[in-house]
Amino acid sequence: MERSIQTVLVLGASGTIGSLAGGLLAQNGFRVYFLSRHTAGSLKGLERAIAQARSEVIARNIICGDYDGLLAEGCEKADWILECVAEEAAVKQAMYERIEPYRRPGTLVSSVTSSLVLEDLPKGRSSDFQKHFLSTHFYNPPGKMLACEICGQSRTDPSVVDFMADFLESRLRRVVIRVRPTAGFAGNRIAFLLFAWITELAEVYGVEKMDYLIGPYTGRIMAPLATIDLVGLDIHQAIIQSLQKHTSDFLHHKLVLPDYVRRMIEAGHLGRKTREKGGFYRRLESGKYEYIDPKTLDYIPSFQPHVRFVEEAKQLIHLGRYWEAFDTILRAEGTEADIVKQILSAYLAYSYGLVGEVTEPSVGIAGIDKVMSAGFNWAAPSVLVYMLGGREKAAKLLSGQGFEVPAALQKDTACEQYPFNAGKYFPAK
Amino acid sequence: MSSKPVYILGGYQTDFARNWARENKHISAMMREAYEGSLAVSQIEPRDIQSAFVGNFAAELYCRQGHLGAFFVDFDAVFKGLPTSRFEGACASSALAVLSAMAHIQAGWYDCIAVVGVEQMKTVSPAEGGDFLGTAAWYERESAGIEFPFPKLFGKLGDVYEERYGLDDRHLARIAAINYGNAKNNPNAQTRDWFMSYDHACQKGRYNVPITGRIKVTDCSQVTDGAVCVYLASEAFACEYANRLGQTLETIPRIAGWGHTTAPIEFAAKIAESEGRPYVLPWTRKAVLDAYRRAGIRDCWDLDVIETHDCFTTSEYMAIDHFGLTEPGQSWKAIEEGVIEMGGRLPMNPSGGLIGCGHPVGATGARQLLDAFKQVSGTAGGYQVDGARRAATLNIGGSATTNVVFVVEA
Repeated sequence: MERSIQTVLVLGASGTIGSLAGGLLAQNGFRVYFLSRHTAGSLKGLERAIAQARSEVIARNIICGDYDGLLAEGCEKADWILECVAEEAAVKQAMYERIEPYRRPGTLVSSVTSSLVLEDLPKGRSSDFQKHFLSTHFYNPPGKMLACEICGQSRTDPSVVDFMADFLESRLRRVVIRVRPTAGFAGNRIAFLLFAWITELAEVYGVEKMDYLIGPYTGRIMAPLATIDLVGLDIHQAIIQSLQKHTSDFLHHKLVLPDYVRRMIEAGHLGRKTREKGGFYRRLESGKYEYIDPKTLDYIPSFQPHVRFVEEAKQLIHLGRYWEAFDTILRAEGTEADIVKQILSAYLAYSYGLVGEVTEPSVGIAGIDKVMSAGFNWAAPSVLVYMLGGREKAAKLLSGQGFEVPAALQKDTACEQYPFNAGKYFPAK
Repeated sequence: MSSKPVYILGGYQTDFARNWARENKHISAMMREAYEGSLAVSQIEPRDIQSAFVGNFAAELYCRQGHLGAFFVDFDAVFKGLPTSRFEGACASSALAVLSAMAHIQAGWYDCIAVVGVEQMKTVSPAEGGDFLGTAAWYERESAGIEFPFPKLFGKLGDVYEERYGLDDRHLARIAAINYGNAKNNPNAQTRDWFMSYDHACQKGRYNVPITGRIKVTDCSQVTDGAVCVYLASEAFACEYANRLGQTLETIPRIAGWGHTTAPIEFAAKIAESEGRPYVLPWTRKAVLDAYRRAGIRDCWDLDVIETHDCFTTSEYMAIDHFGLTEPGQSWKAIEEGVIEMGGRLPMNPSGGLIGCGHPVGATGARQLLDAFKQVSGTAGGYQVDGARRAATLNIGGSATTNVVFVVEA
């Protein structure tokens, strides 16, 4: 069947991802309906889309309204319905039921979910709806994070997934990662396990110390606990709970939500979205930061951590000497060095260990490489292996930290390629 | 060209979208990444390199660091004692480094030279950076106390065109839209993921702020951090290199012609000098003609592609007639007829140019040469001009004060 997309209906356009993904479509010349419960919300979404594009001209391509007023028209005109409503199965299913009477046969319907069970979402809908239903998981903000995970459920027509993958790549400039329909897909599954692990370590070593040890110099643009603050602790909790419920693997026991994190959420310390109350960090008027004490939930001033091997590694990275920096880390000894090695090993063991489960085995580490760099701004696992000195050195590190060396790492060739432009994932911070 | 041929063995450009100050990196880290990347793509061995020539405009101002050539010897143990030099000619700094490297190779001093162009500009505020750039003009007369001197100077260039020939700003907007559009196909272009359209470029508003005169934000090139490392070689070395790769010398691109002129530094003096003459910037035109003559080509229609200096849309507008795509003052014709677009008769800036790809001042000349190399060797990827065999570059320093043109062919 000949498919084309000219018009897109965004449901949940008042939200961040709906408005920004919809804005991307408008930037690329598509006609986009921005709908939410109230037109005022859709108009806020429009403003967000304009700010992302840094141009008002995209507004010409956007029609704002609410569900009561424009849902029927939007559904009838749309070639693709992009659902970005609240991340609750019941809310999404109610929306699908509502749009079905107006949707034309053959219209694509995608959800931005990554953590809900995709198989369950279109249940009760028509065969045509289910054949054209898939997930398109945009990363936030889509103007800067280009990753988009994509997958269908058991009844999705494979040609729909092929078409959408090509469309996202060629028309929206997305870095498309085809994933299997498992909770968290590839990116969130890996990143949030490590976040959980680090929240657990922060209870012992402190927030500032953990973000110092696993800081940007280890291969990420933003330190882990600072990233949770950006995402929101409530979202972090929801993802962890979903992964706890729907996944099972050799590191499942590390999917923890420490008691102090629960208490932070209860007390409203959700991160950047609760600026006054803070999250792991709280910004002072002076621009400096305080850090939450996991034991008391009080904010404490910075103690300016200083660990010799960390400072040496950062100085080498400052000069672009990445390989020497990682050699310094590998040679370091002591508790702090063990923590850094443990987390780096966990990242590699888990990423390579999930090849075949979250992505097709035939693509090797490539899919996970793409999502971690284009979705999280982390050094791809294969790049980290290269930086560590190659497969054998990485395998030795993993074994030393008690991890089994995954088969996908043993046969990986991506890590032998010179990592062009990978330095950007290693800020000297 | 009667002198000995100089070959280009390839090179590497850093991702111009990066902000190296935000990464907390030293300017030498950028040079190092360009160098290491260039080894990986060109398969040059460190021991092959006999000298390093570094083009840079103002690291002393942006980074409080001079003497950049000295950093090169730190990149590999075999470089201890390696002769290195640094070249400055404003935005044409690395083109001057290339010219000097060519002369050294032709004189028989060296057989293989690494030319590095580098600039780190995101270390300071736009206003402070604008002031630093003002030193590329006659600072005392043209820049002191002016917030953005170069937009003003290149706005005046548009005014001169308007006065002498007429100028419609919609043609400038088209130039901006083409360059941004081309940049989307270049994985190292600074603006590859930015939104741009002709309508946006035509608009004035909060997201396309007028800077000065007719110059809006979309008429300007970018503030960019970037480095490029490219290898130049003698015929003897290129021959050996080709053998090493299982190729023939004929497949190795060479610099077939060059032009180099210096106009009066003050913009008003340039314009006074060209009063009553067909070309607004006659010294730029002369550099173009010198390069054509040395390359043995008749005119621009013997070229397949041009990488030109579009620090502002007005400078590309100027380049169109100065390269000879149209009669003087009629650049608008080439724009309207689609001549300069990908798929047009003579595409300009498939890389996105300085507007789309970015403009790390001291690296731009080397970047243009590398892109010319990529075009004629068929390795430009998504921005390849089909079947390109001969390319030209124009790199200008100041308000078209230093003009350097290369013709590259394979």
